[in-house]
Amino acid sequence: MAEGHVRYYILFANYEQGLRLHDLLDGENIPNRIAPAPRSIQGELSCGMSLLLEPEAVDAARACIEKNQAEYHAIVPLAGQIRARRDKYC
Amino acid sequence: MSDYVQMWKDLGMDLENHDLLCQVLPTAVGDVFLSQENRPKAMDFWDLVISEVHGIRPAELIEAQKQGRKVFGTFCVYVPDEVIIAADGIFTGLCGGSQFWVPDGEKVLPKSTCPLVKASAGARLGRTCPFFRIADMYVGETTCDGKKKAYEILGEDVPMYIMDVPQMKREKDILKWKEEIADFAKMVEEFTGNTITPEKLGEAIHIINEKRKALARVYECRKSECLPISGRDALLMTQISFFDDPVRCAQMCNRLADELEQRIRDGVSVVPAGTKRILITGTPMAVPNWKLHNIVETSGGAVVCEEMCTGTRYFENLVDETKTTLDEQFMALSQRYMKTNCACFTPNTGRIDDILRLVKEYKVDGVIDCNLKFCCLYDTEKYSVTRALNEAGVPVLSLETDYADTDAEQLRTRIGAFIELLNG
Repeated sequence: MAEGHVRYYILFANYEQGLRLHDLLDGENIPNRIAPAPRSIQGELSCGMSLLLEPEAVDAARACIEKNQAEYHAIVPLAGQIRARRDKYC
Repeated sequence: MSDYVQMWKDLGMDLENHDLLCQVLPTAVGDVFLSQENRPKAMDFWDLVISEVHGIRPAELIEAQKQGRKVFGTFCVYVPDEVIIAADGIFTGLCGGSQFWVPDGEKVLPKSTCPLVKASAGARLGRTCPFFRIADMYVGETTCDGKKKAYEILGEDVPMYIMDVPQMKREKDILKWKEEIADFAKMVEEFTGNTITPEKLGEAIHIINEKRKALARVYECRKSECLPISGRDALLMTQISFFDDPVRCAQMCNRLADELEQRIRDGVSVVPAGTKRILITGTPMAVPNWKLHNIVETSGGAVVCEEMCTGTRYFENLVDETKTTLDEQFMALSQRYMKTNCACFTPNTGRIDDILRLVKEYKVDGVIDCNLKFCCLYDTEKYSVTRALNEAGVPVLSLETDYADTDAEQLRTRIGAFIELLNG
């Protein structure tokens, strides 16, 4: 997978909102994964959970949010976040 | 809105430093877990827990404290969680697995102390982990010299109780451990204000046995030639099981096992056929220590079993549930816990037997025997582990590492060569 690959993170004010949208997206078979929100885009939110989308799923996710009036904070594109052989542990 | 910042402030945490940890964790989680394809859907639960690792569970513990319950922080699989639960207490694992906490630990401990001990001390004294702040009492034990001395220092900052783990496994040692458990129960009763009855202890034994069985079900799936879960995901499940509610933990592990069993029936594997199967043995890997598993699994191998405290030692062997008096129950607990083969015992041939058995059960191609730096006990046992594996014709690679990233390239070279050797 290219290191500069762009993915989208849906941010939330709390994890309850995140889990609700996760279930909605799963219900519509829109691929999404629970992921820690990268600190660089988290701002003042203290919720650590985000939903991770590949670019091809973003439009469907937006439509799902619109249709269900799902609560969320922002959808943020970010490149180079995932590299299996980066070897930066914590 | 979940206001974790206020919660962390109320816990007296160093928010500025803690924020630095919050910056590195998402990157590591992304690299180690989200880089994987075709993960089991049930891993959602652990993805949520690790995403909110300093939020959801700490908030639950604080809520329980408001209801009058006590939280006990523990550092070893020898501490009987059953006793804590029987007194309506809550246990939470406290071992530190991050390099982030090591410098604060080195302010009070020699650099030549194992990173797990330094990180554990640093997480408390540096005030950068909510679990270390929340625990009303720490329960230490005498499984290594570094821990014993660190507990003396931590004991100046937080109520500390030490359990004296025997160093041999004679009948009189099993009796001694039973007495230690009985003394621990008295202390827990006094600290919580709740009486431990045979009925309550019986229920607690059942709860923890069910958790062990659920963890074992997941591990059982890893024995399949069609490997339905990565070693990284299985390790995360085990690490989280140390501080999750035990009933929920069993539910989630059983849900995962249901999916893995279905995957095996459907022939769904996370690795290509022929991927070399690795057993890792040695010192524990406390969360968020994922370095070795990640390197193995991004170097062409698959970790199928961990013979360590964050592995089979945590869930193998059940406590006898048929006993009806406290005295009998304490003995049943002692008999179960004394089957755990830790390197603090002499002799510790049971560990060798376990490794040889697990190699067969998990259809292992090669063993990586790895200890954390300055862990003299596991380092010394490498001699007998390697000899036994050589005699059995099982390839073995001995390694030593710590929590820092600096040796990652070296490890990649050695592990890559080992897997290449296995591939012939």
